[in-house]
Order: sequence, then structure tokens, then C-alpha cells
Amino acid sequence: MSEEARKLCFVTVGATASFHLLLKSILNPIFLEALNQRGYTDLLIQYGKDGEQLFDEFSAKYPPGDPNRHGIIVHGFDFNPAGLDNEIRLAKAKPSENRSSGLVISHAGSGSILSALRFGVPLVVVPNPTLQDNHQAELAEVLQDEGYAIWSDHREVSAALERAEALRTKMLTWPPVHGMRELQPQNLEGVVSEEMGYLD
Amino acid sequence: MAVSQLSIVFFTLAIGCTALGFGFMALLQLSLPSLSVLLPLFVASAISAALFLSAFAVSQNTPVPKWRPKNSPVHLLVVLGSGGHTAEMFSLLRRMELNTSRYIYRTYIVSSGDNFSATKAVEFESTLGAEPESYAIITVPRARRVHQSYLTAPFTTTFSFWSCLLALCGRHPDQQQHKRPEQLPSPYPDLILTNGPATAVCVILAARLLRLVAWFLSFLFPARIHPPTISAGGLAPPEEEFRLRTIFVESWARVRTLSLSGKILLPFADRFLVQWPALEGKRAWWGMRKAEYIAGLVD
Repeated sequence: MSEEARKLCFVTVGATASFHLLLKSILNPIFLEALNQRGYTDLLIQYGKDGEQLFDEFSAKYPPGDPNRHGIIVHGFDFNPAGLDNEIRLAKAKPSENRSSGLVISHAGSGSILSALRFGVPLVVVPNPTLQDNHQAELAEVLQDEGYAIWSDHREVSAALERAEALRTKMLTWPPVHGMRELQPQNLEGVVSEEMGYLD
Repeated sequence: MAVSQLSIVFFTLAIGCTALGFGFMALLQLSLPSLSVLLPLFVASAISAALFLSAFAVSQNTPVPKWRPKNSPVHLLVVLGSGGHTAEMFSLLRRMELNTSRYIYRTYIVSSGDNFSATKAVEFESTLGAEPESYAIITVPRARRVHQSYLTAPFTTTFSFWSCLLALCGRHPDQQQHKRPEQLPSPYPDLILTNGPATAVCVILAARLLRLVAWFLSFLFPARIHPPTISAGGLAPPEEEFRLRTIFVESWARVRTLSLSGKILLPFADRFLVQWPALEGKRAWWGMRKAEYIAGLVD
């Protein structure tokens, strides 16, 4: 038994739409090798309703212990109706359980993004190009520009691992702290008070 | 953008009125001289359309007068969309630190089959430490199911809209199980808070319709709708006027473009909040209220 800390990469494709392109990039010896090089020990995949077949094909092709797994322990599940907070928490550093800070790779769903930001886990956002009306790329772009996450194409997730290591060292805290704008008294409570016609 | 939209509206109206007029003329086999009779009609309809639009803009830009004593009870109605929308809504409510001594009664509207939203609502209420009598969860039929035919969609949408109307009037079957607190005599919720999608559109449009009807009724029967009462608090404005205020919060996932429900509701919601600066100032057309950017609504 080694005393090496566990380092987990959690991949989520969401519950509603399938994202086989991302799953194919993840369930790939190239990606697993890249994980190994960055010191990851575990890969956990939420593959969605119709991703099970891809996952099973991978397991059959590269059974546990196969050199193509590069020593990465791979687990998968379809989805969790209670939300993914518990899985995202596994990627957060916890010395008492010998876990170092890992990574979350998310299809650009706002639920998993906000959850990862809240826990302070480094985040790679991969918009799904097969979705219509793809506003998710806009969100991924602005989050990368503001220094909260890495925006990656589904074909380049291995390269994104390197960029995520850089993000880990200079990640901003969530929710954002606003300076000057806070001079405006506006928040939701303020808007509600105005609409209710409260006396000052 | 706004000016072009406005000109499109006028252009469409003008074309429509003229086409209608010529259609009539053809139908009645009128000769061209009768154009002089119909022309004033077209002009009148165009002017009335313009007046209607400007009245709409004025009413939207009029702030609510300050009349309600602080901490007087509020009936809050929250429309829960689905999945990500629901999660975001509860993030908003958490950040808002919803105070159950002010918002003494909460109504949640969920779409049929959306067990996730209903479960989350119960979960959220339990974190507030609220009693089960202080909130209601109402199920309304979906406007359109995924993959439902567009042929049948108008009927299901009408059914859904009717259900939303009943809910706003406090006459939905799900509301009959328990009574509202006595501090809230009106069946109408004071405030409607939503972030989309489809059901939110139905609820906000239903609220506007009810307010429009109340406004017309106040012309016809001024005494019946606005009884001149002086309450213990001293101030007693025509309360119906200020109920059913609507706040739409555009999704945090929308950075540079509005969602479809956002585009539809932009002229109808009383307050339209956006969460990214690029969307600040968007408005339906010239003269209308602008979208307001508020940072840090979700966590």
C-alpha cells in the first residue's frame, strides 16, 4: 500500500442530453495517460442515460489492470437524482482522508458549474457542440476570461489538464466579491422591496 | 436595436391596416374614391396602436408608490422551471435569505411530472424551518411536452394557461387543502418570482391579464373595486393594483443573449433582472423599461 494521496478527476455529462463526443475523449488511453502524468489516481464518470454502452465497451476493451489504463481506477454511474454535490466533493482536497485537490470536467450545465465553483474545485468546462442554441460556449468563455474555469473543446481535454494545473494555483473564490458596484443598493431583496412599495 | 424594433412594429401595423383596407375594398367592390372614406380609419387604427404602445410603456415605467408599512406580510409565488432553472431559483432564494416572518406564505408552481422541483421545494422549506401550512405546491399541466406535436401544443398551452390563472386567483384544486394565513385576505399573490422557462411565461402573462381586467373593471365599477377604506395602518391604497407584481430573473447561464422566455417576457415582467453586464439595458422597444444587471444573485 502506498501512502500516495488520491487525486480524483470527476467528469459529468449531465442528465438530460447525451454527450458521446466528450465520453469518447475521456474513455481513451491517451487521456488516462495524461491523467497519470499529472498525478491523478481516480477517474469518476457520470455518463448519463445513454452513455452506459460506451462505458461498458471501454471496460471490456481495457479490463482493470490493463496497461492502457495507466494505473487509473475508473468508475462510472448514469446519474444521481439527488444532484452531484457528493461526487464533486470527492475532487476537493481533504488531508484527513488523504485526498489532494482534483478536477471537475463538466458539460457546461449551470448546476454542476456553480457547484464546482462553490466547492472551489478546479473546473474544466466543455460545451456540447451538438446542442441547438448553444449559449453554453458564451458562459464557458466568460468564466475563462474572468479566471474561474478553463474552457476546453471536447477534443482537447488532455491538454486542458495542463491548463487546469495552472488554474489551481491562482483560482478566484466564488461567489465573486464586488467592489464599486456594491455602492448600488441593488440586490434581489432591494428589488422586491421596491415592487412591494415598502415605506423607507 | 430598440428603434428598429419599434419601426418594424409600426411598419407591420401600417402594412396590415392598408392591406386590410384594400381587402375590404375588393370585397365590397368599392371604387378608389371610397379610399378617402377608409383612409381615416387606417390612420385612426395606427394612432390607437401607437397610443396603446405608449400607454404600455408609461405603465411599465411607473414605479410602485411607497405605501406599505415595512414588514407587512407578503404572499410570494415562485414558479419553478425544471432541472437547472429550479436549482438556480433556490440558489437565488438562499442568497436572498428569505425571511418567513415577512414572506409568511409561499406558493410554488411546478409543472406536472417535475418531481425534482417539488422535492427541492419541500427540502428548501425544511431548511427554513417552515411549517407545512405556510406554503403550498401547485402542479400545473405542461404547456408542451418534449417531442409533443406542434398541432396539439396550442390546446395544451391553453389548458396550462387556464391552470395558471386559477392558481393566481387562489382557486386551483391544489390550493383547497389548506387555508392561507388570516393576515393575507387577498387570494392574489403579492409577488411573482421566476426564472423561466415555459410555465413562467404562462404565469406572468396570466398575471398581466388579471391586472388588465382589474384595471378595466375599475373604470366600469370604481366603487366596487376600490372601496374607500381607511385601515388601522392609516394607508389603504387600492390594493388590487399593486398585487401580482412580477420579477423575472434571466438565467445565470445567459451571458450575451436572452433566453426565449426572456425575450417573450421582456415587455411584460415588471422587473427584468440579468446576471451578466452584457445584457444590461436590453429592452423590448424604445421607451420600455430596461433590463437591470445585478451581480451576485446566485452562489
